[in-house]
Amino acid sequence: MLTEMRGIVMDFGPVRAVDHVDLTVEPGEIHGLLGENGAGKSTLMNVLAGTFVPKAGDIRLNGQTVRMHNARTAMRHGIRFIHQELNLCQDLKVFENMYLAQELKTKGGLLDKQRMADNAKKVFERMRVAIDPWETVENLQTADKQLVEIARALLFECDLIIMDEPTSALSGQEIDNLFAIMRQLKQQGVSFIYISHKMPEIFEICETYTVLRDGKFVSTGNIQDVTQEQITQMMTGKALQDDTFDSRVSSAKEQVALEARDLSGDGFAHVSFALRAGEILAVTGLQSSGREQLADALFGVMPHTGEILVQGKPVKGSVRSFMRRGVAMVPRNRKERGIHNDLNILDNLSMGYFNTRMKEKIISAAKEKARYLRQKQALRIRADNPKNVISSLSGGNQQKVILGRWLETDANVLLFDNPTQGIDVGSKFEIYNLMLALAKEGKAILCFSAEFPEILKVADRCVVMYKGSISAVLDRSQMTEESLMHHSTGSVRENQHV
Amino acid sequence: MSEAVKPKSLDIKTLGKRLLTDYSYLVSFILIVAIAVGVNPNFFRWRNVSNIFLQSATSTGLIALGMTMVICAGQIDISVGAQVAIISGFGIEVLNATQSIWLMLLFCLVFGTFIGTFNGLLVAKGRMPAMIATLAVQTSCRAIINHFGQGGPFTVAGGIATEPYYESFRQVANGSLDILGYRLPYPMILFIVMALLFGLIMQRTKLGKHIYAIGSNEVSAGLAGVNVDATKVAVFSITGLMCGLTAWVYSSRLMAVASANAGNLFEMDAIAAVAIGGTAMSGGRGKVIGSFLGVLMFKIISNTLVAAKVPTFLTGAISGGIIIIAVLLQSMRGRRK
Repeated sequence: MLTEMRGIVMDFGPVRAVDHVDLTVEPGEIHGLLGENGAGKSTLMNVLAGTFVPKAGDIRLNGQTVRMHNARTAMRHGIRFIHQELNLCQDLKVFENMYLAQELKTKGGLLDKQRMADNAKKVFERMRVAIDPWETVENLQTADKQLVEIARALLFECDLIIMDEPTSALSGQEIDNLFAIMRQLKQQGVSFIYISHKMPEIFEICETYTVLRDGKFVSTGNIQDVTQEQITQMMTGKALQDDTFDSRVSSAKEQVALEARDLSGDGFAHVSFALRAGEILAVTGLQSSGREQLADALFGVMPHTGEILVQGKPVKGSVRSFMRRGVAMVPRNRKERGIHNDLNILDNLSMGYFNTRMKEKIISAAKEKARYLRQKQALRIRADNPKNVISSLSGGNQQKVILGRWLETDANVLLFDNPTQGIDVGSKFEIYNLMLALAKEGKAILCFSAEFPEILKVADRCVVMYKGSISAVLDRSQMTEESLMHHSTGSVRENQHV
Repeated sequence: MSEAVKPKSLDIKTLGKRLLTDYSYLVSFILIVAIAVGVNPNFFRWRNVSNIFLQSATSTGLIALGMTMVICAGQIDISVGAQVAIISGFGIEVLNATQSIWLMLLFCLVFGTFIGTFNGLLVAKGRMPAMIATLAVQTSCRAIINHFGQGGPFTVAGGIATEPYYESFRQVANGSLDILGYRLPYPMILFIVMALLFGLIMQRTKLGKHIYAIGSNEVSAGLAGVNVDATKVAVFSITGLMCGLTAWVYSSRLMAVASANAGNLFEMDAIAAVAIGGTAMSGGRGKVIGSFLGVLMFKIISNTLVAAKVPTFLTGAISGGIIIIAVLLQSMRGRRK
């Protein structure tokens, strides 16, 4: 099927996620869709699959303009979307998930479970995976869940399959099997749109590519005509350098504040590094690189093996034992893991203090107010009445309150996990400046981030992770968007043994 | 998104909105008192007022204070009625055996805390849904006390009113302090003091803040260093302690506790009082003062219904209607967010 998207525009409130983008996929073609996080790839694909209705633009299938109202229309037109996040019902069986909303029935109108399970089995055989269709999805490994998701798309006749990072949980052999099936379907005229951050995969399976950046179309062409470096450059664009951050001097001291020795856990393995006082060390990596799990392990949230040393002494146990030793963490996903929606600004700000430094039995309203005013001034929190619930503030100001919470604990080691997630540019820069100021005071800062421009601004060094282990440790002089992307996509390592 | 609303603005519209949402319990309370006065012109007689307090304190008043903590923490405890039954029954046995009202009190408090802690451990460490854990405890407690009572009552001193401690125990619920000519029953004083104490704990102590924090967002609370499990156990233990205290004053008021229906439906009344008092059933929000007024409201309603000569069997339907209206007000608040 010839798929054409013309002048697609998609807005989310004031944010233009996709801005007049064109995309063409020929019948029997595997097309790589490339771009950084937030470039608009997933949004564009959701438009094609009928999840979002675009503000402007046309979708043409085999030359005919089609209106996609919802996912069902897209499916009727032979388009299947394999989502990045797993959309399976955990309590249902594998085949029930695969046939969800398209169940086969017997003549009597009851579910034809046997036929559904048999068909599912056939697809798994084609994919050369041993998954029992009668198994409950909850009991499957993550990789198997991803395979079920893929098998669901293969179960039905279709003309275009969209794959959004399908291999993030798969092993080398499973990826090879998947690619074999893709090539086989391609012979039958099925087209693919393939989204991945892993360069080696793109270059192995795709024939053509389209690059997006900041919601805009950048380039399209044959994959043979470009190199990995060129693609990376197109994705990142010319990095805008900010002078104040460029000229900064590292305030790192000799003394090691936080050390990880051979840390392993769910999602990461054999991670070692040392963070010095006054240093800002960034940790980056794409989805499923183990970055998030590592952050959790370093704050006692996730079990791990290996040793964590704070100021030279090992720490074990829960969040509270880390807090007692002067570690603080501004968590990622502020809404789910940071703020207390129902609580007011004062209480949100003081929550860390209550658990670390408070000695008296009764909370003093005056002291609570004083803490708030101190942080309000230091962090320039814009709020009228501290007794209002925190959700009345903008994202940037909420994040500042959470920062204030941890600054009030007087921690010496600060873990920032995706600290500028979903906040406006102004607040972002305020937070960067704050990080530099804290480092100057001698605090050790570990910043987990997937935003390369951010890392280039603040980090003295950067640990790059790929598939759960450290693929590079770059000094400030070695850090560029290209080198960071290069190491996060595993280009170096995979090329070595291909 | 927007910057915070201006504080202390005398805007009538905002004020009206806040009365209907944040202070809905106050509006309901005033409304119900107004109706009560209309039906019963003698409503404000001290005898009537203190009687309302006495009835509240010796039934679900103290429990509702604990229940406020439980619900603010995002949990629920439906074992409280059965707890009162089992603690009262055994408590009276302890009193008869030891002839000491203070040993009985000690027993009630310890036993209540024990049951509450057991509830808390099932929920926090056993990862059981609170509804199921406390349902199981409710059933067990009720069965055990029925077994020992054989369905019959536990009676103080076997009904011999001449025993010396009989009268002193009766005074627990029926005695009073005279202040400026007003007769304040002991349970009324207990209820007010406890409500103030609970208000202080919820607003001005670490425990209170932790309760709101885990009710609002357990993940965030854990990441801010709150001991989530210990806090959960604490709210159930405290509620158990309140059940013990209630059992003491409750048995004193009745002097004989029927094992089968002692504390019957206390859990429903306590939860309803908390709900009508503006505490969010999803946790994270609520005030002790709301529950305090909520308990009084229920007593005023039943008091008024009797005065209005509403058939006894229909009173439940009217109370149910009032709960629906009160909680609807809250869900309107939720929708506006």
